[in-house]
Amino acid sequence: MREASSSNGARRRRVLATLLGLELRLLLRDKRTIIIAVLLPLLIYPAFILAMRAVSRAGQERLEAATYEYAITGSEAELARSLVQEALALSAAEDDSAEVPTNFVERVADAPDSLLRAGELQLVVEWMSHEEYRAEREAEAEGDTAALRRLDELAAVPAVRLSFRSNSELSSTAASRMGARLRRLRVERRDRLLRERGLPLDPGELAKLELNNVAPAEKEAGAVLGMILTPLLVLLMLSGGSVVAADAISGEKERGTIETLLTTAARRGEIVAAKQLAIIGVGIAIAVINVANLLVYVVLGVFELPERFAVSVEPVALIVLLLLFLPLTGVISATLLALSGYSKTYREYQIYFFPVLLLFLFPSAAAVLPGIELRSAIVLVPVANISVAVREVLVGTYDWLFLGLTFAVTMAAALYTSRLTSLALSTERLITAAELDRAELIGGPALFPKRVLRWFGIMWVTLFITSLWLGATLGIRLQVVVNILGIFFGGSLLIIWRYRLQPREVLALRPVRLPVWIAVLIGAPSAYLVGVGLARLADLILPVPERMLESFGEYLIAPELALWQVILFLAVIPGIFEEIAFRGVLLSGLRKRLRPVALCLVTGAIFGLFHIDLFRIVPTAFLGAILAAVVLISGSIFPAMLWHALNNAVALVPAYLELRIAEPPLWSFGLGVLGLALAFWILWRYRSRAALAGGDGGG
Amino acid sequence: MPLSLINWRQVWVLYRRELRGALRERSIVVNSFLLPVFLYPVLLWLTFSAMVFVEGLSEGRVSRIVLLDLPAEHAELRDSLSAAQSVEVREDTVSVEQGVAWVLDGELDAVAEFLAPGPEAEALPDNFAVRISYDRAEERSRRASDRIESAVTGYRDRWLEREARDLRVSREQLEGFLIYRNNVATERQVGAFLLSLMVPLFVVIMVALGCFVPSIDTTAGERERSTWETLMSVSASRMSVVTSKYLYVATLGLAAGMLNVTAMVISIGAVLRPLAGELAEELQFRIPLLAVPVLLIGALALALFFAAAMMLLASFARKFKDGQAMITPVYWLALIPVFLSGTPELHLTPTLATVPIANVAVMMRDAINGRFDWLLIGESLLVQMVFVVLILWLARAVLRFEDYLLGSFDGSFWRFARQRLLARRSSDALPVE
Amino acid sequence: MTEPTVAVRGLAKTFYDEARGEVRAVDGIDFDCRPGEIFGLLGANGAGKTTTLRMLATILRPTAGVARLMGRDVVEEPVAARRTLGFYSATTALYPRLTARETLEFFARVNLYPEEKVDARVDYLVGRFGIAEYVGARVEKLSTGMKQKVSIARTVAHDPPILIFDEPTVGLDVINALEMARVIRELRDEGKTIIFSTHIMSEAEKLCDRIAIIHNGKILASDTLDALRVATGRHYLEDIFVDYVGGVEEMPGFIRESGSAAE
Repeated sequence: MREASSSNGARRRRVLATLLGLELRLLLRDKRTIIIAVLLPLLIYPAFILAMRAVSRAGQERLEAATYEYAITGSEAELARSLVQEALALSAAEDDSAEVPTNFVERVADAPDSLLRAGELQLVVEWMSHEEYRAEREAEAEGDTAALRRLDELAAVPAVRLSFRSNSELSSTAASRMGARLRRLRVERRDRLLRERGLPLDPGELAKLELNNVAPAEKEAGAVLGMILTPLLVLLMLSGGSVVAADAISGEKERGTIETLLTTAARRGEIVAAKQLAIIGVGIAIAVINVANLLVYVVLGVFELPERFAVSVEPVALIVLLLLFLPLTGVISATLLALSGYSKTYREYQIYFFPVLLLFLFPSAAAVLPGIELRSAIVLVPVANISVAVREVLVGTYDWLFLGLTFAVTMAAALYTSRLTSLALSTERLITAAELDRAELIGGPALFPKRVLRWFGIMWVTLFITSLWLGATLGIRLQVVVNILGIFFGGSLLIIWRYRLQPREVLALRPVRLPVWIAVLIGAPSAYLVGVGLARLADLILPVPERMLESFGEYLIAPELALWQVILFLAVIPGIFEEIAFRGVLLSGLRKRLRPVALCLVTGAIFGLFHIDLFRIVPTAFLGAILAAVVLISGSIFPAMLWHALNNAVALVPAYLELRIAEPPLWSFGLGVLGLALAFWILWRYRSRAALAGGDGGG
Repeated sequence: MPLSLINWRQVWVLYRRELRGALRERSIVVNSFLLPVFLYPVLLWLTFSAMVFVEGLSEGRVSRIVLLDLPAEHAELRDSLSAAQSVEVREDTVSVEQGVAWVLDGELDAVAEFLAPGPEAEALPDNFAVRISYDRAEERSRRASDRIESAVTGYRDRWLEREARDLRVSREQLEGFLIYRNNVATERQVGAFLLSLMVPLFVVIMVALGCFVPSIDTTAGERERSTWETLMSVSASRMSVVTSKYLYVATLGLAAGMLNVTAMVISIGAVLRPLAGELAEELQFRIPLLAVPVLLIGALALALFFAAAMMLLASFARKFKDGQAMITPVYWLALIPVFLSGTPELHLTPTLATVPIANVAVMMRDAINGRFDWLLIGESLLVQMVFVVLILWLARAVLRFEDYLLGSFDGSFWRFARQRLLARRSSDALPVE
Repeated sequence: MTEPTVAVRGLAKTFYDEARGEVRAVDGIDFDCRPGEIFGLLGANGAGKTTTLRMLATILRPTAGVARLMGRDVVEEPVAARRTLGFYSATTALYPRLTARETLEFFARVNLYPEEKVDARVDYLVGRFGIAEYVGARVEKLSTGMKQKVSIARTVAHDPPILIFDEPTVGLDVINALEMARVIRELRDEGKTIIFSTHIMSEAEKLCDRIAIIHNGKILASDTLDALRVATGRHYLEDIFVDYVGGVEEMPGFIRESGSAAE
């Protein structure tokens, strides 16, 4: 032991090497897993790509080779026919794929429209006078003033109607090809006419526009590569690393070897480090093997690359990319390992893997979003920031400050997850095998804290789906009834009934003293002001689109409601029933598991998420946290109800009365902070004895 | 199948036990029920938020451009560009090279350079040509180029109209005719069409996924928990035991498939609406009533198929993990319909109806689009069921081996097939019980 | 008398349970063990045996009290404490895909047995436990008896002075159980300190030099078998056990204690 302490570094290295050797040896001997997870994908991925391409090419050919049948109808059939024939006779333009010669065949039919609907015909062409055209379009516009105005601006010329069905690929293709032909015919006729009348040049030569792409081929290829590189690597790392991770801890638990390992002289940190290194190693190896495999196919000519595809990565870029992928692999391996550490069996690991896969793939595709730049809030989102940073580096943009920030943010996430795994190995509940959960056996109130988040998850989904489906059609009053009375209050009642809870305790229905009410009267408007200030700060990071602001304004200020209705439906009802759900049931459910500060923050965040809209999360989460604190300090839910209702009223009533209040000046936020502090000081002075200390609702 | 050996009352008892166990097993509940219910809304919300975020970001972004050598007669063009809030016309006078360098550095988004027209085009006084230099690799630059292009095109059209008026060509003559695309498909048909592209695909994948865990759990899982022998020693015939397990796996597969369809149909409108903009605003995502039984029967046929195939392979595994590796290839079969989605105008034909899995997928696709060819539907189902019966027959052949039944056979289906089913000597086979 | 190699003072483990509040799985126990001695922990399922031994093996962290292995505190210096320890229980399994030799090498190395002596040590263990025949075969292919031998060999791979056997005979047949007892005696004779837990009276009777009767997390008595006989006036350990435990018969309902639920 003396030699161990004298050369701690050597000791660590030796233990780490031994553990890593074990991991790799175990993996390599698992033939079946290697075949399924490593070798088969090498065949499957390229086969998949090839098959997809073959199928899409065959589909394209099918559309090229198809015979498109059209009919001509209407009183001016001859006119239409000659137009169509002239259009079809046009020589094919070069690089316009929609206009390559296609087999259009006319079919004479009595009731072409019904044939079209039945799928017997692909296209029906009709010549319409301008009046007929207008009449039809006006009927279609249904009083949409903007559409009608656009109609007025049109020249009074006849129209060719191409009737098609968009639920048939053949029919849509026929319509778009015929349309393209007719448009070209129109331009040619116009040009011919103008030349005949004496225009001295080809109209195409007027203010001729030329597009000059100055991007080097490498940069364009870099942009494409930048979009796919991160998601591809993340996918391969995840699926490759998972092979090891699944076995790493949950497999050891299942086999019972984890205890053997934990009683050796290796530290938990060392065990985690060795496993993480194994995951990274195997993940990278699989990623490299797969990329190399694809390259082999490219070299063999099985896949061909786009023509202007040239990749050149400078040494600097290469180093930066490697540095960026370092925290990415770190966070992926740590997450997989944490997952493995927190699941007790191999199978349990498998359940969680799929959601985690999505959780990573989604942000890793951030670079695909058009117009997203690293210099934005995205830099704060781990994985997504790497994705955007990689794209920027590949097109040659180096924003060093934000690259550094990206590295730091994702690295911090990696270290944090890594720590979670170490903790999982020290958490007795997770190591010691199958342990009975007393709460599950007893049920009732004991089970409630464990299940409360699950219930709120279901409530969130229900809320989300109903607001998607019914949001527009319900009108604000019904929406309030459905969401607040139905989902929030109904859900709360259901939870209380299901776990046999004491409503008075869970909902903290206790009287309070007079000064508390005064504190609420001061606090609510102050907190509103602070919330507005916070929303404005958030806007700097997450700019709100105009459209959202408008639609939100329209949504809240429903002109058909009387003032009393606005107050009832948007202030009083939410004040009472949202409090019952969030500061009543949710708060008391989480109470035993979290410390007061964390409790307020988590309650607030969940309350924010229930407002669904990304931009309302910050102010509503703030309000939710404040209200949770009010309940915790005062020991009663009633002040929070009044506070909430007042807050909503302050937010809505001036807007309803169309009082155009100027943007609150900066000093008003300071005033808000002061008012809020005063309110909390009063609350604290007259705090309830049972409130903060009594961790459980029963006390 | 020796149906006489199956005691249906016992099957029912055993089946209920399996199902009750499954509903208490977290991995099965999560995979089959919670995933579809939660996954779609959460993904939707993420998509929403990401799109709104990007919209907010790009709204504030102004295209920075320079116009070089713009002839004084065409100052109107500059004015129209300057008037737009989203465009900032820089006044710098730089060389083209410098401008291009700035575009590449990201200092500038696009350079519009006004040139003398070509020899032919000189015939009209004041004519000019424009060259827009932009960086196609950058979204900001593409957008700037588009904005200049649309300004120039508008300017050119107005100019052409003026010239035409001077030449006494009326606006009507200039325009000639309008082209009016008239889509006769109803909103419901279009909605159904979009659904038909996705729903069959998801049904197949989700039925397979729904069978995945239960099929391992009820075979390899039982061995791992050592309840397999307990079960083999009950007084029910082995056929009854196996039948009840099979029906149970198929039930879960069917449930997973149908839940997914429902969840998708509920949430898909919301995904597409913001993506397709106004166009999709009106779409109605509903499935024709008649298609519901077809979907159900199709999903059932798939569930019977996947359950049979997966159980056959998984039953050779002694551990959950091995089982998983063994049936992964079957799961890949579920990807077949993905390829079909790339084929335009694909409908059920007598030939296609003979391809298992694909035929059911196309059958569902047609049904959602309101096409019902009962003869072909019958053929597809028949073909699918023939495969199911084939697998079940194989399963029955396998069940005759004692060491397999007791779980002492160590190896996969392939090894078993090589050593026992195809080998001549099969002395240790039991008489069918 | 020699210095105790294992010293336990006031060791306690409290589990927090959301439904029932605190559960005392081990409630302040003291004992010492010395080299060349087999110390037996005798108790029913859920008495706190496994929890105690897991605390000694640093898998669980004590809520209160001190435990020292060769003078190393299990909380302060867990790694050093573990180096002095070989832990064997029904739940400490072997890696199925390693061969027997690799298993021994791995555990010797990871427990920091001097690198240059690893090979010699493994050869010695192979000879001593009679596993030469199948030393190159993967553990997954071995029979229960063979696995047991390898498992004991891996427990002593790094030649630790202290050995903990937590219900080692659970699930073994008579032959294998006897073999296990023989090996444990041999190891004691070599001067190892051995802690042995069981709920089988005859085993404790035959094997242990000193016996501690543990019940509901408390040690009710701890002495040699003869001394226990004298104290209670009964001959058979079974009767002695019931004598001590019977008075405090209040098993915690139908639920087993959390800490030892793995038994």
